Amino acid sequence: MSASTQEINNLINQEYKQGFVTELETNTFLPGLDESVIHKLSKIKNEPEFMLEYRLKAFRHWQTMKSPEWAFVKFDPIDYQSISYYSAPKRKEDGPKSLDEIDPQILEAYKKLGIPLDEQERLAGVAVDAVFDSVSVATTFKGKLKDAGVIFCPISEALRDHPELIKEYLGSVVPITDNYFAALNAAVFTDGSFVYIPKGVRCPMELSTYFRINAANTGQFERTLIIADEGSHVSYLEGCTAPMRDENQLHAAVVELVAMKDAVIKYSTVQNWYPGDKNGLGGIYNFVTKRADCRGANSKVSWTQVETGSAITWKYPSCVLTGDNSVGEFYSVALTNNYQQADTGTKMIHIGKNTRSTIVSKGISAGKAQNTYRGLVKVLKSAENARNYTQCDSLLVGDQCGAHTFPYIEVKQPSAQVEHEATTSKISEDQLFFCQQRGLSAEDAVSMIVNGFCKEVFKELPMEFAVEAQALLGLSLEGSVG
Amino acid sequence: MAKANSSAYVERYADVASSLCGQTVPWLQQQRADAILQFTEYGFPAIRDEDWRYTNVSVLDKQHFAMAQKSVSAVITADWLKAYQLVDAWSLVLVDGYFSAEHSVLADLPEGVTVMSLAKALQDAQYATVLEGKINGAVSQDENGFVAFNGAYFVDGVLIHVPAKLQVSKPIQVLHIATQELTAINTRSVIVADELSEVQLIETFAGLECAYLSVAVTEVFVGQNANVTLHKVQVESEKAIHFGGTYVKQARDARFRHDNFALGGVLVRSDVHTDLDYASECELNGLYLGVKRQHIDNHTRINHLKPHGISRQLYKGVLDDRARGVFQGRVVVAEDAQKTDSQMNNRNLLLSSDAEADTKPQLEIYADDVKCAHGVTVGQLDEKSIFYLQSRCVDEETARNMLTFAFANEMVDKVKIKSLHDLILGQVLTRFPQEGINKEWL
Repeated sequence: MSASTQEINNLINQEYKQGFVTELETNTFLPGLDESVIHKLSKIKNEPEFMLEYRLKAFRHWQTMKSPEWAFVKFDPIDYQSISYYSAPKRKEDGPKSLDEIDPQILEAYKKLGIPLDEQERLAGVAVDAVFDSVSVATTFKGKLKDAGVIFCPISEALRDHPELIKEYLGSVVPITDNYFAALNAAVFTDGSFVYIPKGVRCPMELSTYFRINAANTGQFERTLIIADEGSHVSYLEGCTAPMRDENQLHAAVVELVAMKDAVIKYSTVQNWYPGDKNGLGGIYNFVTKRADCRGANSKVSWTQVETGSAITWKYPSCVLTGDNSVGEFYSVALTNNYQQADTGTKMIHIGKNTRSTIVSKGISAGKAQNTYRGLVKVLKSAENARNYTQCDSLLVGDQCGAHTFPYIEVKQPSAQVEHEATTSKISEDQLFFCQQRGLSAEDAVSMIVNGFCKEVFKELPMEFAVEAQALLGLSLEGSVG
Repeated sequence: MAKANSSAYVERYADVASSLCGQTVPWLQQQRADAILQFTEYGFPAIRDEDWRYTNVSVLDKQHFAMAQKSVSAVITADWLKAYQLVDAWSLVLVDGYFSAEHSVLADLPEGVTVMSLAKALQDAQYATVLEGKINGAVSQDENGFVAFNGAYFVDGVLIHVPAKLQVSKPIQVLHIATQELTAINTRSVIVADELSEVQLIETFAGLECAYLSVAVTEVFVGQNANVTLHKVQVESEKAIHFGGTYVKQARDARFRHDNFALGGVLVRSDVHTDLDYASECELNGLYLGVKRQHIDNHTRINHLKPHGISRQLYKGVLDDRARGVFQGRVVVAEDAQKTDSQMNNRNLLLSSDAEADTKPQLEIYADDVKCAHGVTVGQLDEKSIFYLQSRCVDEETARNMLTFAFANEMVDKVKIKSLHDLILGQVLTRFPQEGINKEWL
């Protein structure tokens, strides 16, 4: 808790910390998108033939689709021809074999972000895959993971080294026809992380991917695929930042999780893309499709997200509960300030027997922001004894913001029990008064109350992330309390 | 772009336009012209429309309903009528949409209170001026295809006007009766309660055993500090398609309560929209019972436009056989509407594995100093309660019937008019297994 007014003022005036630009020589495609770009992309990545076909199929389908308009967000139409679909830091011919070969500028950039890629200095426990613009620049602890049988590598590497896994699982959770942005992503995705946990293995450390958009006029299209085979366990973290620019940049990612019998996947995100300035200029459009398939019996997928960045967030991490007794969880804190817009939530599709899902969503809206929870709970006829509990609470800070709750509940099975609760309120005067009476400033009191409001979600985050998330929350709220 | 399902109605509009009520009223003629244009463009709603995603009315593509004509022969027997007409109320009866003086009971209305056929009112310059700004005053033609359809085609309806500071001593019932096979019935009702007045109204929709399309739009204007209660008892025939829209404008400090009993019909949609001014209150209650292949969709929208408004909603659904129940509620709190207090609840009981409940409670909030909450449940009867009853020598089937009935009866018990309460209770009971329900307790 910050102590003096001076410090608070400093904080208020503090700019988006991760907003620096790294000057690098890059290999960047000219803006524009047609089949030749996809051919070029696939060639540069040295992909197997089936991937090129997959991309072209997705691209052809994408051309027949229209940008979705149902979300509660407003933005000007995106000109997909003005975006560059590939940008990579120039590298030596064979690509870096060790950290020494990585451009020091990039290492410096990650250092500034607090993500040291240096294995020795790193506290043991988290393996990091760093994605810079369109490509993965480094993956740490590869050796240690290999010993455990875990495959953790950039997806472009997996395409070459593990085509059989890719063929089987890529697009099996989010097909190319799924939605507009997923189709675009399937056509032009450049990199991302690939994780495979073999049968019965408990991943020895937390896995983490750090996404960074650096180049201007580019879109980032990453693809993450995590497969947890029978009885395995993995915890995966994702973080993201981008430089401050006046134009909007598109980030359209797809994340696919597959949990086989008895497998557990925990996926945590702290999303802190550049949110645009106080007047709503610039910022990232974060249009993401995330979905998990609990394919096997007794599998479990848990999504935890802290969304504080992006000009517009459009994201619904979902669980398809196919296996009997499978469990889906969704814990979310979404904070919007200034002119940010967020339309986020989840989908829980109950298919198997005795499937359970829990949704806890906390929305905080400040400034002139619009924050929407949109969630679907669908219980199919086959899902006997399905159980869902949903709670979404919204907190309004200031009188010019909006908080909206749009749940969809569809039940076709009488033995299912579905509960949904939502409340919207502002920070109570009584609570504020209570804190102030005990010597806390208004800012500190608000920060404390908001942190308390989000506690249920934060406790689901891995330790280091929880600390980061709390700090982020305080920062994003700065200046919103008068 | 004309839609397939609407084109037949659009083409035939010219044939009937000259016979519709209000020929001598220029502003209404203009509104009807606008409505048919709107309907030409919109057609009946499609499921791509977010507000209609759970209700598919494409059956209107396949089945054309001719416009109902005024029936000449009396097909309604006194006994039949008795089942729906309240004895301790004034009642205005519309048969196939047209006012029926012989069935209506309107003697001894308090002085100043108007309860009359809308078509008649439009012929009288005195009432026509009252109606200007009221017809299509609480709902806009572009609300949805049914409202535009109704705006173009309505043949009659009712005008109810309660003057300022008057408490109407008995309830007023508007009884809609359908008698003709494969016809479309369009009625428009206008209810105006001036400041400080108080009135209880009942809209009943019933029909003989036939298939028909009933489209009824009701506009309610609740004056400052006035208090209006509107009970809608929808017991249409088993084959009927029903669209009922109730659109309300509440002035400052006005109170409005709507009780919606959706029991009949095969494909039913009901809209209740209300706009709240400063410190006005509204209470929307609903009970939908679905059996066989019934599809019952309830749509509510509460717009809190000014501060200090209070709204309460409770909708309960019981769905058996292959029935599908839908609840879509939306509460909008405008930027100005600080200190709004809003609660919305929807509870669904699924009794069969082929039944379905879809619910979409929405909060859209632009003000910070508000208390808004919504809750939804979908489930089956509580096993512990059943066990409790069984442990007291009640067999399982009876226990289930009792609990199901009790679940529904909460809504019926809110009705304070005795005769109406009994009428609704009777209708609810006929739709459920009565084994074990002792009528003497009720």
